[in-house]
Amino acid sequence: MGLRYLHAIRAVLWKDLSAELRGREMLSAMLVFALLVILVFNFALELDAKTRANVTSGVLWVTFAFAGTLGLNRSMAMEKDRGCLDGLLLAPVDRSAIYFGKALSNLVFMLVVEAIVLPVYSLLYNTNLFNPGLILVILLGSIGYVAVGTLLAAMAVQTRTRDILLPILLFPVVIPVLIAAVKASSGFLQGIAIADIWSWLNLLIVYDVIFITVAFMVFDYIVEE
Amino acid sequence: MESKPRSLKILDAVTLILLLIATLLVFFFAPLEAVMGLVQKVFYFHVAAGWVGMLSFMIAAFAGVAYLRASHHKWDIVGLAAVEIGMVFAFINIVTGSIWARPIWNTWWTWDPRLTTATIMMLIYAAYFMLRSGIEDPDRRARFSAVYTIIGFLSVPLTFFSARLFRTIHPIVIGTNQPGAEGAFDMTGRMLATFLFGLLTFTFIFADLLWHRIRLGRLADTVEQLKMKTME
Amino acid sequence: MNLLQLGPADTTSYMIAGYAVIFGVMLLYVLSLVVRTRNLEKDLEVLAELDHE
Repeated sequence: MGLRYLHAIRAVLWKDLSAELRGREMLSAMLVFALLVILVFNFALELDAKTRANVTSGVLWVTFAFAGTLGLNRSMAMEKDRGCLDGLLLAPVDRSAIYFGKALSNLVFMLVVEAIVLPVYSLLYNTNLFNPGLILVILLGSIGYVAVGTLLAAMAVQTRTRDILLPILLFPVVIPVLIAAVKASSGFLQGIAIADIWSWLNLLIVYDVIFITVAFMVFDYIVEE
Repeated sequence: MESKPRSLKILDAVTLILLLIATLLVFFFAPLEAVMGLVQKVFYFHVAAGWVGMLSFMIAAFAGVAYLRASHHKWDIVGLAAVEIGMVFAFINIVTGSIWARPIWNTWWTWDPRLTTATIMMLIYAAYFMLRSGIEDPDRRARFSAVYTIIGFLSVPLTFFSARLFRTIHPIVIGTNQPGAEGAFDMTGRMLATFLFGLLTFTFIFADLLWHRIRLGRLADTVEQLKMKTME
Repeated sequence: MNLLQLGPADTTSYMIAGYAVIFGVMLLYVLSLVVRTRNLEKDLEVLAELDHE
């Protein structure tokens, strides 16, 4: 595949990152949305300190899943609306490079949001979320989410129903990630032994590998014109 | 529509006969379960329906791969047929699962990994139809459907494992650790024979319905093409 | 489960409901196939006529 492939990935990634740095619309939207979700959870669930310990990972991951959808939608819509996709498609490089570029930029945005949500949540609820295990889970889970999400978003944006379709397509398929991520997260937060958390991490890794591979093989068929 | 080929007529007849025999086995051959009573008999076709749901999904995914490789429109018809039938039987599976749960565990729903996975599978089926309805271009529709069935199919075993892992660590709160919607009783030889025959029967039902649905799909395509032609 | 009960529980109504669902839904599906086929065949007739004009 070689250097040109990597350059293509970097080009797509850089295009997205610099576009976002200029306007910061998408990030702010994702961030505000995430914080609002956490706020709503606070009132909806009336968490006392004890219950909160059990429910924290669930709340976090639901938040990430919803905010993630926003980012995925926006990121793909931009391609379509500004016609960038057509330009990229003309480049003499394997189409999957576009996939990796988009997936990486989506991952970066999701991680940025998560990196801000964690300390905010810690502050609001007086919980310590600075846990290396948790960070690992967030990374693995986000990778899986974004791997499938980028692919499905690329499809959804080309349909008539666009934005509404993505969560419908994505959520049923991404459930193993959510289950494993929530269980592993609360495992780490509650200080459970790694041996017990391992099966969840394993599941996440397997999911990530399978779906990155599949998405890579199949992306070409989605952007054929 | 082309007239029914002879093999299809034979398949229809065989399927009906098998269904009749299976039903007779359930009601007259299989013994009455000692604790649950008559509702246990629902189990035979409940699992068979679930099996058809899985089988359909697998066929749909294979058809998806075939479409991506060959771009032959017939694979799209097969995929759509399989998903539609799968949805019907997944629905039967879930509802009968609920009907079984009610008298046995006094609840309309158990978060049993198999039932949970079946429900999620149905949601993926539903999403498939929503995806299709949002696309006008037939080729794009076929491609996207193919991709989604592949992704969906691969996610199902993972969903099952995660639900099962979840379950072993957190037993369901209601009652004691139920071993799940199936197998909560010991199967005697007669029950096993009835059960296996049920699986066989439903596999035939699947094949029969699939063939019929594919024919319907081809007819729909012909009509569609003719419509395009007359619009010009 | 009432352990003092003699013999199996009376769950007849549930069994009937279960089988009603199984056969009912399958029948409805088959009917839908039949109806859809007929509608399409009718469309085909109409279109064939239009085509001949």
